[in-house]
Amino acid sequence: MAEKLEDLNLPLTVVGRIVKEALPDGVAISKEARTGLAKAASVFVLYVTSAATNTVKHHKRKALTGQDVLEAMADIEFERFVEPLREALEQYKLAASAKKSAGKKKDDEDVEIVEEDN
Amino acid sequence: MATPKPEKELHLPLSRVKTIMKSSPEVDAVGAESLYLVTKVTELFILDLAKRAFKNSKNNLLEYKHIAEVVQEDDSLDFLREIIPRKITVKQFKELMARKAKANSDDSSEESSSEESSEESDESNQE
Repeated sequence: MAEKLEDLNLPLTVVGRIVKEALPDGVAISKEARTGLAKAASVFVLYVTSAATNTVKHHKRKALTGQDVLEAMADIEFERFVEPLREALEQYKLAASAKKSAGKKKDDEDVEIVEEDN
Repeated sequence: MATPKPEKELHLPLSRVKTIMKSSPEVDAVGAESLYLVTKVTELFILDLAKRAFKNSKNNLLEYKHIAEVVQEDDSLDFLREIIPRKITVKQFKELMARKAKANSDDSSEESSSEESSEESDESNQE
């Protein structure tokens, strides 16, 4: 749960690092631009979440899966992210099943609920 | 392990993204896989928005107004329009209000409906 309002913002330093990666070397980012991008990203998280929740409801399920997130991207006109996201999901599943076959823990099921809130 | 964990390649903290997701009343459980993807796509989103905003920059500085421009022009970013509004100066704002008031008194009654102008408070962003 979010105890403080700041918990609903994404860390500015991390956002700044991502932006730096996106832009050519030597480009400076104004503080306001960085704050704006971080705010936009927070809202984007909620936007995607709510779109994905709709997909889940549509399928009459309860748990939110990766596939729901993928489908939601098309619903909110972000088709351009679907392909890279699909690849990311493949990789994620691959890594998850590799870990499973390594047999250390019985985790990483689609519906696994991570419950380590800080 | 041969391949690095996909989570390790992310920049944004999963725990924070999860907190934001769970702040939605519709969401009770967030699975690891969907959390990973939402975090991933948010990073893609930041990259994409930053790159497009930078195209509006004429020098080597990315500024707020460049982002606002992209947001106001792209319909798929409609959900951000109130979050990232175009900024106007107080002077422009007063002119805008004056024009509105004038238009109001012109077409309807003479009563000067002085809408209380809520001054644009510059948000103090604490680091």
